[in-house]
Amino acid sequence: MGVNRTLNKPISDDLTRPLFHTSVWFYGLVLALGTVVACGAAAWGTQIWYGIGLTGKRWPVFWGFYLTNFVFWIGISHAGTLISAILRLVNATWRRPVTRCAEVITVFALMIGAMFPLIHLGRPWLFFWLVPYPSAREIWPNFRSPLVWDFFAINTYLTGSLLFLFLPMIPDLALVRDRATGFRRRIYGALALGWRGTTRQWHRLESAMQIMAIAILPVAISVHTIVSFDFSMAPVPMWHSTIFGPYFVAGAIFSGIAALIIAMAVLRRTLNLEAYLYPVHFENLGKLLLLMSLLWVYFVFAERLTVWYGNDPSEMAVFWATQRGTYAPLFWTMVTCNFLIPFPILALKKTRTIAGTVIASFAVLIGMWLERFLIIVPSLGHKSLPYSWGTYRPQPVEIVIMASTFAAMALLYTLFSKFVPIISIWELKVGDHPRPKLTPQELDEAAGLWRTQP
Amino acid sequence: MKSIYGLYSDPDTAQRAVDRLRTAGATDPAIVVISSEPFEEYEFSHRDHATWMYWIAGGGGAAGCAFAYWLTSVTQQLWPLNTAGMPIVSGIPNAIVIFEMTMLGAILATVITLLVSARLPTRQEHIYDTEISDGYILVGVENPEDANVDAYHAALESAGQGRVKRTA
Amino acid sequence: MPHRWGMAVDLDRCTGCEACVVACHAENNIPIVGPDQASRGRAMHWIRVERYWEGDFPEVSVKFRPVLCQQCDAAPCEAVCPTYASHHTDEGLNAQVYNRCIGTRYCGNACAYNVRFFNFFNPQWEKPLHLQLNPDVSVREVGVMEKCTFCVQRIKAAKSAARAEGHGLVDGVLQTACAQACPTTALVFGDLNDPESRVARLSRSPRGSKLLEDLGSEPKVTYLARQPWA
Repeated sequence: MGVNRTLNKPISDDLTRPLFHTSVWFYGLVLALGTVVACGAAAWGTQIWYGIGLTGKRWPVFWGFYLTNFVFWIGISHAGTLISAILRLVNATWRRPVTRCAEVITVFALMIGAMFPLIHLGRPWLFFWLVPYPSAREIWPNFRSPLVWDFFAINTYLTGSLLFLFLPMIPDLALVRDRATGFRRRIYGALALGWRGTTRQWHRLESAMQIMAIAILPVAISVHTIVSFDFSMAPVPMWHSTIFGPYFVAGAIFSGIAALIIAMAVLRRTLNLEAYLYPVHFENLGKLLLLMSLLWVYFVFAERLTVWYGNDPSEMAVFWATQRGTYAPLFWTMVTCNFLIPFPILALKKTRTIAGTVIASFAVLIGMWLERFLIIVPSLGHKSLPYSWGTYRPQPVEIVIMASTFAAMALLYTLFSKFVPIISIWELKVGDHPRPKLTPQELDEAAGLWRTQP
Repeated sequence: MKSIYGLYSDPDTAQRAVDRLRTAGATDPAIVVISSEPFEEYEFSHRDHATWMYWIAGGGGAAGCAFAYWLTSVTQQLWPLNTAGMPIVSGIPNAIVIFEMTMLGAILATVITLLVSARLPTRQEHIYDTEISDGYILVGVENPEDANVDAYHAALESAGQGRVKRTA
Repeated sequence: MPHRWGMAVDLDRCTGCEACVVACHAENNIPIVGPDQASRGRAMHWIRVERYWEGDFPEVSVKFRPVLCQQCDAAPCEAVCPTYASHHTDEGLNAQVYNRCIGTRYCGNACAYNVRFFNFFNPQWEKPLHLQLNPDVSVREVGVMEKCTFCVQRIKAAKSAARAEGHGLVDGVLQTACAQACPTTALVFGDLNDPESRVARLSRSPRGSKLLEDLGSEPKVTYLARQPWA
């Protein structure tokens, strides 16, 4: 009887409150994170000045922390795609409050991950030679190199993710524009591109989102597959494995979901979103995390069993180095963090609470970081000629830069949630729709306005 | 910019308003419905159905594919350098780059089509009311002819609980 | 007939004296990284003598093996360089173009023989050692990969001289620095496409084998197996 279902002013108020009210905590957090990021930038500057020699990289372990972090952050960027695109395509309605959090993780994780190929270059001022542009020297990038594939894949994914994030943001930016005043109104107005919300615009937007969801999925899968090709294309023992493509994609989705759970939990607490992010959201993501943990175990088991059966001397050297040798403590920590801790927490409904999933997620992030490290360093340290084996020790420069990337992620996320509603307001409202009454008779009956003539 | 519109608090009333406007003589392209969320289940959202976006996305993908094919094979032959004994124009590695550019083409084509067909960004004045952001649904006519304005007013008022506004 | 440069290493003659290592450093302006950096694994020896101990005392033996860039025909390092800094020339050399290198170090990882080295810092020569640098060879800056080039500067010089004098290259006149310095002629360098050259004949020896041949990199250095003591 004329129920005001669409007067969702309280929802809009709640979700735009962070934009209009700033607490002192915000400034403190931004300052702290900004300082750490500045330290990282200074460390990078020092490294550019003196050379890669400041890191722990050496002959023959030419890749270390930077590539580990690169793969780690690109892996985390798979959170958004899974949640947004797949769940959108299968019409899973519980995704609605979660999509923008996830898409934001993707965009920022990609940006941070894409910094690392620049950071690890020996001559980073020449990075633009990876770009295919016509130069007077008539020489182009080598399209046979997996690093060039990386360039194309990551740029495509970054562009796609940015647009995937921005398009559904437009209606919310319009909403903020309508509530803002003065200078802010103009900025949000410009960003909202004059959006009004006509049926034509909504229809176009929804079609575009559908196409983007279909398009971004293969791109996301290809991105981490191509990152895995950085390793599997080289004849290095335990790198040259056909399993790397699917293994890396599964690992990426695994770490991405873990990052998403942590981000959501933090947002829920700091922005008071208890009315929008329910325990059931964490439960559902927790079930997905459990599934990915089992999948991860499956891949690791399949790969290691194959290597052990093959008994190839080069590969066995790496195998034993990780399982019983120098890297054994890290290896078993990884197994604990990726499986032994998350599995019981996520398998039992009693422990699959918000706190439980967050603990499991932290363990997974540590475990997945270690997994990337253990893929890269033991193999490089134990290649085919034993005389040239070597170990790797990270140096302060690498640790500072790595810490600053975590701070950068937190900082970017904080700033984003300050300027844009972190939960997609219009998508949330759509989920609340009642069953439609379409015929004039139904409409009039419902309103008690039954008439004999239209 | 002249306009006449009603602001309603629920989509059922809005649907009725659209029907009443049609009876009052407004043509479908002239009726504007603006809301802060899409109402795909309602008939008033279905007037602008267009599925040609998928074709344009496919076209963009094809353009990306062609460009990448040209880029990889032409540049590899400009200064042919033997690497690892692989063919000068290496098919499978090129396919990876071609795939990425195809998807990029499809994505960019979709976004550009969205912006163009949704008439974004726009500088022109169009019918709008900031109360839409509070959840009201606007049903109205932009630049109505003077003869019909009263009929429209009556139609909008009779739809149910809501406010009718006019702008000059 | 184009040249195809190759090398043969007679493990029976190698004494492990490392004169080849020193000669290579002198010829190619290879940086001396210093004891601290060397202990961190940054030493750059384009040719190195690998040493493997076998057995326990008193039945212990040591095997020497000089390892240098194998100039593989299907070199894994060439395909992975994003800027074409590593590519294959018509004469079978794996060329390293220092000016194109942006230092991704992917080639170093892909090389199964670990014969590629990276300039972790800018090389420095304390005066007056800078006067002994070879003017025919560039000095690489920080961030660039480098490796054995089969003394390409000597190859180019010999070819120019032979062309100027109007005759072909004579086998044995053109030598890499390591082959020239080797006191036992364990290292033999030459044109594999000349069937009468010493290196071509040694490559066909029944004692010959290639290093890590099963990896499919098609190396061009033939190692001649040690003979058992009579």
